[in-house]
Amino acid sequence: MKLRAEGISRNFFRKGKNTNFFTAVEKTDFELEQGCLTEITGHSGSGKTTFSNMLCGLLTPDSGRVFLGDQSLYELDDRKRSYLRNRYIGIIPQGQTGLHGLTVLENVMLQAEMYGSTPDAREKAVSLLEAAGIGELCEVYSNELSGGELRRMVIARAMMNDPPILIADEPTGDLDSETTALILELFRKYADSGNAVLMVTHEKEALCHADRIFCMEKGILSSVPKK
Amino acid sequence: MKFAFNVSLKNIRRRPFRSAALGALVMLLTICLFLGAEVILSLQGGLDAYRSRLGADVIVTPSSASAHGSVDDIFLQGITGNYYMSEKDIKKAADTDGVQSISRQFYLTSAKAGCCSARVQIIGFEPETDFSVLPWIKESYSGEIRNGDIVVGSEISVPSDRQIKFYGKKYNVAAILGKTGTGLDNAVFTGYDTIKEMARSAADIISRKEFSGVNIDNTASALLIRVKDGYDPQTVADDINIHITKVQAKASKSMISGLSDGLSGISGIIAVLVGAVWVFCFIIMLMVFALLSNERKKEFAVFRIIGASGKMLTAVMAGETAVLCLAGSAAGLLVSVPLCFPLSDMIHSSLSLPLLMPDGAVLAALCAGAAVIPLITGVLISLASAVRITKAETGLLLREGA
Repeated sequence: MKLRAEGISRNFFRKGKNTNFFTAVEKTDFELEQGCLTEITGHSGSGKTTFSNMLCGLLTPDSGRVFLGDQSLYELDDRKRSYLRNRYIGIIPQGQTGLHGLTVLENVMLQAEMYGSTPDAREKAVSLLEAAGIGELCEVYSNELSGGELRRMVIARAMMNDPPILIADEPTGDLDSETTALILELFRKYADSGNAVLMVTHEKEALCHADRIFCMEKGILSSVPKK
Repeated sequence: MKFAFNVSLKNIRRRPFRSAALGALVMLLTICLFLGAEVILSLQGGLDAYRSRLGADVIVTPSSASAHGSVDDIFLQGITGNYYMSEKDIKKAADTDGVQSISRQFYLTSAKAGCCSARVQIIGFEPETDFSVLPWIKESYSGEIRNGDIVVGSEISVPSDRQIKFYGKKYNVAAILGKTGTGLDNAVFTGYDTIKEMARSAADIISRKEFSGVNIDNTASALLIRVKDGYDPQTVADDINIHITKVQAKASKSMISGLSDGLSGISGIIAVLVGAVWVFCFIIMLMVFALLSNERKKEFAVFRIIGASGKMLTAVMAGETAVLCLAGSAAGLLVSVPLCFPLSDMIHSSLSLPLLMPDGAVLAALCAGAAVIPLITGVLISLASAVRITKAETGLLLREGA
């Protein structure tokens, strides 16, 4: 399943000298390729998160359309769009996004149970947590985890439904090099198994894992040749 | 929706302090609603019991009765004594223009001596003409009141053999009346023939001076009058007062109106206080839920990110609130239901107001209302928060909640 953006852009209200808005993302065309680890790099505030949020269906573009397969994401009703997001797009947001009322295992299983339980959800969640190196923390509440452990839990959660598309926003920010390497390895494997992975990062270490690299600067996305 | 309910329960369990604080707020609201409504209904019940006790349009007592209390006290609180009017005055009153029917009552105070089981007020009525006591008795006892039978108020203690002794003779307790919340709960009722027999025994045993010159067979302590259609009870009462010097007549409406005004005032104050506390709790609930939903923006954004639709998120929020409100309401009822009995007694004794607690069905309806109102309020407030959250763009919500 392909994720494709056609001329998407987004402005935000911000009082300035000459204008009351600023453009976070200029009109952009983009396509995520299956089996490919794509990276978008750029400075803080360049529009990377806004762009990835629009791709995920979390932020409505001011112009343009986002297609998941042949369905225009923002023309669907909330229920359908939410369902597609749950089943086909694994999202790893910026920052710590554990649900602290739930254990690590429940956090991961939630993604699968939201639209009806799957019989092997528990085994699947445990194996994903083990692959992420936190299998022993299944019954721990998410607010008891360290930053690195929490990030790995969110990655496992995003992969729970085997989504063909995985979008990660700064997944390795403020993590040590060992954890970063583990996470990058997980993404690499996921892309190699035929899925499309988009990683938004400004970490140079991540670039060597990518198949395609883009740079976002002042809302303009441009392709960067891989060295 | 099973998913939403499970998540709601887990959120509640995982946030014990927050859950307890919200539950306590709902508990306070429930207590306030239940006790406030219960007191208002009890006051109303007391007033209704007074009204039904009166039944008559005009009450006539001998002038000598004023030494024992006002006409209001005699009829509404059951404060009786041994005072009697002459046969001539009874006839004059019955012949007054506008009088449709008349029913006599005979009062006797039992003695605190070996001849009597207890010191109580005994009220004799004429079953064939009565329209005041019998309807009330019929609520508890459908049988006939035979000669020698007595019917007792709810506060009178009845021995296991159901026999109570007055002036050396035992009388059979035919029925125990329902509670009125008035002094009448401590009175004994019987037919006219029986009380005349008691009065004769009283005159023989303790030689009461009140009976000197009284023809027990043809006297009465009070007359209950119904006026003909088109006649004003106050005018009939004034007419009796003008033409019969040894009696005092009072229109029952004027007796109850002062009390009714007083009770309405107190009920109004309680209703305002309950309303004020309710509005106060409502505002606090509104603020708490608004603050909580603001604080939990990121959590809600995460639900949306992993695929929860607006409806699912609303169900999680409303489910959480509903469970907390139900728990808070249940705790509130557990506290307030046992409290309502001593509270009624306290109001009754300290304010000397007639209180008649609602019956079981009304109390059950009050419980349901006191539980459902906070539940609906809480769920509506959380729905409003949910609409605000689900309408916001998740991408922005995530950033605001960061």
